[in-house]
Amino acid sequence: MSESNNHAVRTDAVWKVFKQEAEEVQAVRDVSLTIGAGEFTAIAGPSGSGKTTLLNLIGGLTRPTRGQIWVAGEELSQMSTGALAQLRLKQIGFIFQAYNLLPVLSAMENAEFPMLLQGVEARERADRVRRLFARTGMAGLEDRRPGKLSGGQQQRVAIVRAVASKPALVLADEPTANLDSSSSESLLEVMAELNLNLGVTFVFATHDDRVMKRARRLIRMVDGAIDSDEIKT
Amino acid sequence: MTQQRPSMHIGVIVTLALRNIRRNLRRTILTATALIIGGALLIFTLLLSDGTHEQWIDSGVRTGSGHVTIERPEFRLSRKIEDRLPASTSPAVMTALKSPDVSEHVTAVFTRLSVNGLASSPAGARPAQILGIDPVSEAAVSPLDDQVVDGRYLESDDRLAAYVGGGLADRLDLRLGSRLVLTAQDAKKDIAGQLVRVVGIFRSGLPELDQSVIHIPLATAGDWLGAGHDVTNIGVIVDDSIVVPSLVRHLQQALADPIARGDATVMGWREAMPALRDAVLIDEWGAYILFGILFVIIGFGIVNTVLMSVLNRHREFGVLQALGLTPRQTGAVVLVEGLTLTAVGGVVGVGLGLVFTWFLMSDGLDMSQLNSTMDNLQFGGVAIDPVVYPVFRTTRVIQSVGYILLIGGVASLYPAFRATTIDVAESMKFER
Repeated sequence: MSESNNHAVRTDAVWKVFKQEAEEVQAVRDVSLTIGAGEFTAIAGPSGSGKTTLLNLIGGLTRPTRGQIWVAGEELSQMSTGALAQLRLKQIGFIFQAYNLLPVLSAMENAEFPMLLQGVEARERADRVRRLFARTGMAGLEDRRPGKLSGGQQQRVAIVRAVASKPALVLADEPTANLDSSSSESLLEVMAELNLNLGVTFVFATHDDRVMKRARRLIRMVDGAIDSDEIKT
Repeated sequence: MTQQRPSMHIGVIVTLALRNIRRNLRRTILTATALIIGGALLIFTLLLSDGTHEQWIDSGVRTGSGHVTIERPEFRLSRKIEDRLPASTSPAVMTALKSPDVSEHVTAVFTRLSVNGLASSPAGARPAQILGIDPVSEAAVSPLDDQVVDGRYLESDDRLAAYVGGGLADRLDLRLGSRLVLTAQDAKKDIAGQLVRVVGIFRSGLPELDQSVIHIPLATAGDWLGAGHDVTNIGVIVDDSIVVPSLVRHLQQALADPIARGDATVMGWREAMPALRDAVLIDEWGAYILFGILFVIIGFGIVNTVLMSVLNRHREFGVLQALGLTPRQTGAVVLVEGLTLTAVGGVVGVGLGLVFTWFLMSDGLDMSQLNSTMDNLQFGGVAIDPVVYPVFRTTRVIQSVGYILLIGGVASLYPAFRATTIDVAESMKFER
């Protein structure tokens, strides 16, 4: 078994270069890192530092220009589009800045969605979601459509959606950016609790100090490259 | 982890598609309304058109040689008495028509001894189409007996009676009781003459009948032409022209021996009456082209509706793929949306069209109310009844729904393709 199988994420000399008209933009430059199972890691940096692009690369939402990426032991660069979709379904949960719930589904249905695609039985789906809703303060709101939920509530549904399918890791791109401070704190509390008690691996792209404070590991990026990588004691 | 089941994805795709249709209700309703109107118009026009064609065909075959005609191959062109059917053919035909496979559709059978000849009176001579007929069976088939303007139609015990077209009567200065001489080549290839007396004059409105057709009793024609009880053709009338091909096949099997010898041929009306066939085809294709254009226009409406839905949901499709749907499955969501919209609109439209058509089935649609010239109209050598009755055909309902679904499917392809090509990461960029 290769060393990469012991980690949630491993990247090896990953580059992502975008062509914008005549120019080349190096969004991610030569990034090599390893994130272990159960980590609560923040990738921080100013706008344009490449943190979202790095998250998209790890999540298989975009392909690296050079380098290799392993998620839960599977190498992404040669995977087909269908295989990447399967990987995301089985191994990765996403939390987005804009919540990105499906407006035609209820809170419960949104949270169940990845498990539905995985083929999890209906009763087990419902059990998992109800337990997580109770944990995240969403009990009683199962039948509401996203349009009838506050930002904080929608993000909680997104968290449950990301976690309920038991992925190898959860990628959260600026999850608190659209929330007030109270909601942000509350949300971070939820994610920290899930990390601690369920062992869910969280990787954040953020420039929110609150997230950075909570993270046990802080990776700073500048101009597409890792500037520092600090594990807090 | 539980194994994935493909059926789950299909259920998810359909659920998403159905719920998304309800999101922009106004746009959905507008597109569905176009489909409903189009579907209703399509089925109504097809069924009315089929009914009209059925009337043309019925009118044409009754003045012509029947839905199915049995005659010698040479007779169609020669019209000579020597090319009449052998005596053994008639019994074989009658036996074949009694078969349970076909008898329920046969409404009338008639026999004729037909010849082209000359009709002469003191006023002059004119070419004539002389038909030796049995008055009883002919009256059940031909409309000419009802189109008498003077006198009466032939009766069973008539011997030297003639029923003459009005145009011919005018040219030969014939009235009721007038005598005329019919001349034609007989079975021995001699020129034979027969004196007859006018008992009735008809006017059908069709010049080719009024100016040339004379009916005389079959027995009189047989004696005159030396043909005995032979006939030149046997005609069959059926209740629905749709059964003609199977009846032709059945008779061809029953008459395999005489057909092999060259003594008989079996023709459906399409083969025996090409002018009528072409008239029906032209009208059919005219309708198909019109509806083709209409549905291309409706198709563009569907493209617009579904494509707008896709373009407005770029981020959502990105999320679906981020969560684990493949691009192809995302496209399937769009395709199912388009097909569902089309299916519902089409089925409702066809249903409404059927209801409207049903009301017309008993009383018909009087086209002369819309166009006064419809009272005396001909098309393809057939007199047209201005009152048209739609006919119900299951195949047309299936064709209509199928055609609408095809349009919907094709119209949804491009929007579905667009949904598969989105850049997932790009679609989820948060715009501040």
